Parts: sequence; structure tokens; C-alpha cells
Amino acid sequence: MLPDKKEEPVTKETVERLCVLADLPLPPARRDALVAPLSGLIAAANELSRKMAEGGRRSVLPITRFPER
Amino acid sequence: MARDDLLNLTIAQAAPRLERRELSPVELTEAMLQRIAAVNRRLNAYITVCEPQAREVARATEQIIRAGYYLGPLHGIPIALKDNIYTRGIRTTAGAKILADFVPGEDATVAARLKRAGAIIVGKTNMHEFAWGGTTDNPHYGTCRNPWNPERFPAGSSGGSGAAVAARTCLGALGTDTGGSIRLPSSVNGIVGIRPTIGRVSNHNVVPLAWTMDTVSPMTRTVEDCVTMFEVIAGYDPFDPHSAQVPLADYRAELGRGVRGLRIGLIRDYSLTHVQKAVGEAVRGAVKTLEAEGARVEEIAMPSIHGNISAQLTIESCEPSAYHQEWLRTRPGDYGEDVRTLLEMGELYLATHYIQAQRYRSVLRREFLEGFKQVDVFVTPTLPFTATPCGATEVVIENNQKEDMLSAIMQFTGVPSLAGLPALSLPVGFDPDGLPVGMQVIGRPFDEAGLFRLGHAYQAVTSWHTKSPAL
Repeated sequence: MLPDKKEEPVTKETVERLCVLADLPLPPARRDALVAPLSGLIAAANELSRKMAEGGRRSVLPITRFPER
Repeated sequence: MARDDLLNLTIAQAAPRLERRELSPVELTEAMLQRIAAVNRRLNAYITVCEPQAREVARATEQIIRAGYYLGPLHGIPIALKDNIYTRGIRTTAGAKILADFVPGEDATVAARLKRAGAIIVGKTNMHEFAWGGTTDNPHYGTCRNPWNPERFPAGSSGGSGAAVAARTCLGALGTDTGGSIRLPSSVNGIVGIRPTIGRVSNHNVVPLAWTMDTVSPMTRTVEDCVTMFEVIAGYDPFDPHSAQVPLADYRAELGRGVRGLRIGLIRDYSLTHVQKAVGEAVRGAVKTLEAEGARVEEIAMPSIHGNISAQLTIESCEPSAYHQEWLRTRPGDYGEDVRTLLEMGELYLATHYIQAQRYRSVLRREFLEGFKQVDVFVTPTLPFTATPCGATEVVIENNQKEDMLSAIMQFTGVPSLAGLPALSLPVGFDPDGLPVGMQVIGRPFDEAGLFRLGHAYQAVTSWHTKSPAL
């Protein structure tokens, strides 16, 4: 199980680095506007990731196409 | 027939009159076009009204029926399509400036099937831009409004279809549903809408939002009408790689079976938790009505259900951002502010976030399939609140606490979307302000028939679906 540590907030610098990685050239004002909403979304996604990374769930496969029955 | 009587006809009432030639498709279509002209400036339910085409088709339909070629219960019925569904020769904007001039060269499979059944398309309905949002507060084509109170939102993203049906401007409409976009507007506009099992209805030539969750389906005033449209559009389509080769049920035969012996599941600490008082009361009342008709109610635990909103937001953020990647770089200023922001954020998740969310779907689906060993359907409110004021980005559900609209609105509808299950929304009451409340019924994979059965049994002993907004 991953450590249940308190989330680091997403910062202006984080968003700037992620935009570089994504090859998404955003003006500074737009990047700054993403910080607060993205903090909430990423914190929630990390919480879900921690749950899904638990040992008992290692055999779970992703679903991207649903079985017919 | 008097014009008001025409407007209030359901498909089930209009079809036999059209077949017997007691009602002209020209007269019925004209009544709908006049109604659109009268109310659309207030509601903004339509982006494009197909006036000349609808009149021409109605005249041809009249001739064909007169010649003895009646095609079935949709022949001559005026309907509307959400504007992300391709219509050959008629522009299809998806509610976006980017597609403002897009005129498809072919129909979506669902549009083609409805045309083959003789339906008359009166217009293309307003929607949240690219279906990425739940308010239909559209910056390019105007804010769509709720016919029950035009100061309130019609939800979304198929808000135009919901408002169009509730306002009696068509007898039925198609919407699309990724995380709730048919069920949410069905609920707040007081109508019926079904999200089908993924693969049951073709997505071919429908502008996508999130490929692994997108569906198309009808929105109508009654469950019986919903069946009439569903029978026509459902079924395997070789053009859609997600289309399922699962035999269709005899949906109409299921309608008469009632709910005696049907087992209804309430999910512990979820189904009736964190909802506005009036919403909770209406849904509890509906469950009691079904119990009185012979259904049994059981409470089921579903321990993984509380991760659903994050999983939905992750998938619904990442997949649209992949689809929009080029436009977001070449035409960013052509998006509305909310959708542009969501698309930008969707590019900044990690791959592991997306994959863990897709793995979560397996866990959730498995818990539902286990639950279906004990019950036949699950019930929740469709959304935890009634229609909010247009333009609101926050909502109060309880304890005077403001919550973000996007997360709050998907509290219940995201679950079947993630688990790949069909879900029906039907009207079960009104709040003290006269705004409709909807109940969501979730079924087994490909058991849309079971949902129609329950919904029809409920409508047979209640009258919420017969109320109309005073516009």
C-alpha cells in the first residue's frame, strides 16, 4: 500500500512543468487559473490511485470495452 | 383537433390516429413548428429548426400513409435530435463554435434508423458545448432554459432535448449520455430518459465526449414512448466498434408485466444520502408506491461506490482532452471558458490516474453484478437537487453548504456510466417550488427491458408524467 501522506498542493510551478511535458503552451494567466481546480482533482485521483494500488486489487484489469454479458 | 390537444399527444396517442388517417402528419408537424416558434426565444432549446425539411417530409409522409404504406408507430411523429448527432445536409454543431459550419455528408446510425421508421426531424437541440458539462449554459448558441421555470437550468448536456420534450415542441428526442447527460435533463425537466448499456445503441457518427462511456438514447414524456423510440434505434451496428451483438428483448411485451415480485435494491449509505429534502421524500414515496404494487425492497452494501466521482472526473477529463488535442492548440479561443479549462486540465493528469480510474470500473461493476444476485434493479435519485438557477456554478444540497456543481451533479448518474449498466430516469414528484424530481433505476447489463417494465408500472399508477409546464 502506498503511504497515505497529505497531498502536496498543485502549484504554479507544477502546472508549468506539466504543460511543458504535455507540449501544451498556455499563457501564464491560464496556467495560474488551473492551479486551484487541478489541486482538487489530482488529490481525489491520487486517493483513488492509492485504493486501487492496494495488494488485494493487483489482479484487477481496466475496463475500456464492456463484455457483452 | 385543437392545437393544445395536439401538443399534449404522446407518441402512443398520436400513432394510431396517424395510421387511421384521423390526424395528418402535416397538421401535427405544423403544430410543433408553431410551438417552437412561440417558445424557443424563451427557452433556447433548439440550435437549428429544420422548418423547410420538416414540412416537406410531413407532406410526403401524408401522401405515403394515404397510399397505405404505414411504416409503424414512429411514422409521421415529430422528433428532435441533440446537435452532436450527425444529420445529412443539416448542420451539426455539437454546441460548439468550432463546428458552427459543419454539415455532415451522412447521418448517424440512430438518425438514419429514425428516418427509416418515418420520424420527422423538426430540429437539432441545444447542448452543453461538446457535451462536456451539465448545465447547457452555452456561450455560442445561448443559455438553454427550463420550461418549468425559465430562470432555472435544464441540466445537461442534453438540456435542449429535455426542454424541447417538456415544452411540447416535439413528441420525443434523442440525447447522448456519458456521465448523466440524458438522465440529468430528463430529471429536472420532468420527463423520461434512458441511458442504455454501452454497445446497445450505436454511437456511429455522433461527436464523441468520452469514448469508453458515451451512449445515445431517447428522451420522452412516457416510458411507453421511450420504448417506441428505443426499439427503432437499438441493435447491432457494424459501423460502431463498441456495438454489441446481443439480441434485443421484446420491450413492449415487458411493459405489461408489472412489478410484483421485483426486487429493488437501495445502496446502503448512498441511495438516499446527501440529497435535498424534497428529492429524498419524492424518491422514498416512489419506492413505497412500487412496494404497494408488489415489489420488494432490500438494502445492499456497496463498499467501493464512494470513489465513483473521482473516477468519472478523471476519465471524463482525459478522454475528451485526447479528442480535442489539436483544436485546443490551434483554436483555443473558440471554446467557451468552462470547456476550455476542463480540456486543459484533462491534459495534465498522469497516465496512472487514468488507468487506475479504468481499473476502478472493474471493481464497481463486480460489486454491482454481485448485488444483482440479490436484487433486480437499484434505485437512487437521478440527481441530489432540483433545477438550480441558470448560470450557477455551485449548489446547496444540505446544511447550507455550497458545493461545486460538476461534482455534485454526477453524484448518482456517474455510477452506472462507469459500471456500463443501463439506467432509466423517470419523474417521481415536484419540490415545493414546483420543480420536477427524478428517480434513477439501474439495471443489469442489457436489461433495458426490466427498467421499462418498472417505469411503465410506476407511470400506470401515478400522474407526475402527465403534468405540463405553464409556459
